[in-house]
Amino acid sequence: MRPLSSTGPIGDAAAGEDLQDLFENAPCGYVSALPNGQITRVNLTLASWLACDRDQLVGRRFQELLNIGGKIYYETHFVPLLRMQGFFNEVALDLVRAGRSPLPVLVNAVERRDDDGRVRFLRITVFNASDRRRYERDLLEARRAAETAGDALRELNLSLETRVAEAIARRMEAEEALRQSQKMEAIGQLTGGIAHDFNNLLTGIIGSLEMLKTRLSQGRLDDVGRYVTAGRDAAKRAATLTHRLLAFARQQPLEPRPTDANRLVAGMEDLVSRTVGAAITVEVVGAVGLWTVLVDPNQLENALLNLCINARDAMPKGGRLTIETANRWLDERAADERDLPAGQYISLCVTDTGSGISPEVVGRIFDPFFTTKPIGQGTGLGLSMIQGFVRQSGGQVRVYSEMGHGTTMCLYLPRHHGPGDEAEVAGEAADHHHTATGETVLVVDDEPSIRMLIADVLTDLGYAAIEAEDGAAGLKVLQSQTRVDLLVTDMTLPGGMNGRQLTEAARKVRPGLPVLFITGYAENSLLGNGQLEPGMQVVTKPFTMDALVRRIKDMLAQP
Amino acid sequence: MTASERHNATVTGTGSRAIVFAHGFGCDQNMWRLVAPAFEGDFRVVLFDHVGAGGSDLSAYEPAKYASINGYASDVVELCRELDVRGGVYVGHSVSAMIGVLAAKQAPELFGELVLVGPSPRYTDDADYVGGFTEAQIHELLEFLDNNHMGWSQTMAPVIMGNADRPELAQELTNSFCRTDPEIAKRFARTTFLSDNRADLEGVAQRSLVLQCSDDVIAPRAVGDYVHRKLPDSVFVQLAAGGHCPHLSAPEETIAAIRAFL
Repeated sequence: MRPLSSTGPIGDAAAGEDLQDLFENAPCGYVSALPNGQITRVNLTLASWLACDRDQLVGRRFQELLNIGGKIYYETHFVPLLRMQGFFNEVALDLVRAGRSPLPVLVNAVERRDDDGRVRFLRITVFNASDRRRYERDLLEARRAAETAGDALRELNLSLETRVAEAIARRMEAEEALRQSQKMEAIGQLTGGIAHDFNNLLTGIIGSLEMLKTRLSQGRLDDVGRYVTAGRDAAKRAATLTHRLLAFARQQPLEPRPTDANRLVAGMEDLVSRTVGAAITVEVVGAVGLWTVLVDPNQLENALLNLCINARDAMPKGGRLTIETANRWLDERAADERDLPAGQYISLCVTDTGSGISPEVVGRIFDPFFTTKPIGQGTGLGLSMIQGFVRQSGGQVRVYSEMGHGTTMCLYLPRHHGPGDEAEVAGEAADHHHTATGETVLVVDDEPSIRMLIADVLTDLGYAAIEAEDGAAGLKVLQSQTRVDLLVTDMTLPGGMNGRQLTEAARKVRPGLPVLFITGYAENSLLGNGQLEPGMQVVTKPFTMDALVRRIKDMLAQP
Repeated sequence: MTASERHNATVTGTGSRAIVFAHGFGCDQNMWRLVAPAFEGDFRVVLFDHVGAGGSDLSAYEPAKYASINGYASDVVELCRELDVRGGVYVGHSVSAMIGVLAAKQAPELFGELVLVGPSPRYTDDADYVGGFTEAQIHELLEFLDNNHMGWSQTMAPVIMGNADRPELAQELTNSFCRTDPEIAKRFARTTFLSDNRADLEGVAQRSLVLQCSDDVIAPRAVGDYVHRKLPDSVFVQLAAGGHCPHLSAPEETIAAIRAFL
């Protein structure tokens, strides 16, 4: 072949040779075919790709070179397409090669027509698509692998969730078992402690009653008052114990009154000294001008006594016990530290010079039933009950302790802006001046002994008492013309009508009728969270007859 | 949606008697563009697309229904009843030839004559029966369809309804002719090439014309002979036209043969 000139004109022969070379050795296969696909001419490139002689290709139809899928699709899809639009492009097909794997190709085809529009021949161009097909296959495999991995990951996530859930469930079961055993242990402590305390008190009560019976039968009446007093005191302490338990459970209706803590402490000093014993020096430091607080004074006394007993127990070899009161301004930071709103408080602190409490124990001392004492010697409820009472009063309990040096327990109570407690006392005293003028009290209670006691007391005082055993009986009286000046009813009554419902029915027929509810702890919800209508009051069980009488007199004295 | 809408049916022509043209596997009603107009003077000409092809409603495609060509035959019956075709002419190409036979048996009142272009009741050889394909070849075809590589999508590019992966390619290559959904086409191929409706040829009441092409890879002469032999009242015409689509490659010859028969 002659070298081609890039500058000068080339001759016809050379141009023909050039075009021939271009046709034969082009980087794609060329096929000329009759309209029915019969091959008339094929270039060297395609022949070499198919590893056969050109002569073996000429005369065959192009579709015969295809694999079976290609043949069918060529006839059903591409021939119609070629006929209708005159060409098709980039059709991916496989050319069959004898003894070798099929050759992936991309095929273009176009119809060449004469001036009359008749198809002269088909020009088919074939591109080797081996690399592209490999790339596509890799891509598809990568996509499939990614999908499989994605599926596996989803599967793993699902099973992971299940496994985590199972682990958590097992952990929760273990924790529940632990809680249950702790609860059983706590109940053991509680029953032991309460049984101990109650047994002591019951012994006092039973013993007093027995002595009383003996002396009465002997006609020795001169000193029976001692036994009556001893029995009543023991019963009162038993009542206090149940109050403390209820306060711990925050079921106890508190009776907050404006209280001077200094005076309260002063009143307790003697009792505290005797309780802690001679080996311990008691010192009281009362702040001058101490603010008034609004608390249930009985509960505060209990709390103080409890703290002093704890202090005593921390100083088995003696020491000094200091009771100190102070006014406190708690700013935001100080209040935050004590988990209180900022503002004015008083502190009532009990400090001992005892063994101190380790930090681990400090973290648990307010836990219900936590105690360092042996079973039967304490309920473990003391501090948690104190905390319950103080929190209910809007305050907080803080502990400061140093091992080997001692402990300070502080009660913070919010300042009360209002009149002091003197007025209250004066009012109470005034009440006692009311005397009976034939007023009638309806007593509704299902417990005959309580009903009888109340009625007897009222009769002794010159009142008329009507007894009813349930709501229906009580209502019957109320709906009659009988005089009733005050209704005293238990909150819990048999027969489907409780004290509150009885009261509602009663006030329909007797508007404004004064009502005194007697309630145990469980019926607090019936009182509507302490929101009582005018002319209604509550007395909680157990109560002394004295307290009841004071309350009844008070209510009957109201205009 | 009416059957006419579902099948993108077009009705032309001035005649009172209907002639219904059904396209085969691989294209749509455009296949008849060189033949159908020739009958508009004497017939009411009905053209339509099978579900999955052309302008049909793709959402109507139910794999279970169309797993057998009976599903397609039911469509033909429904469409023709809707268009009030009675005693008409049915012209079916390729797999639609047998679809027409089934439709005619389901509703004999629809058609008076059947024209079967390149019919095949079974594509796979079976004992003495010659279908044109060995079982191995049909398996190769199905395997080929299942290994639906990207190149195969490229193969289908000229005939698919848009190409989600390469919209620019679809824009360039997609044409207004022969649109088919590649996924449905794959299933249609399976339905077609696994069908065996030889028994349905028996007892066909209508006059039938079997148009046999030369050198038809899909439906060779032996198959055309078989169909002619089994149909009770049939005429066999061997066309000079080669390939599988005489209505495109030799429309005049095809028209003439049909006219002669009618």
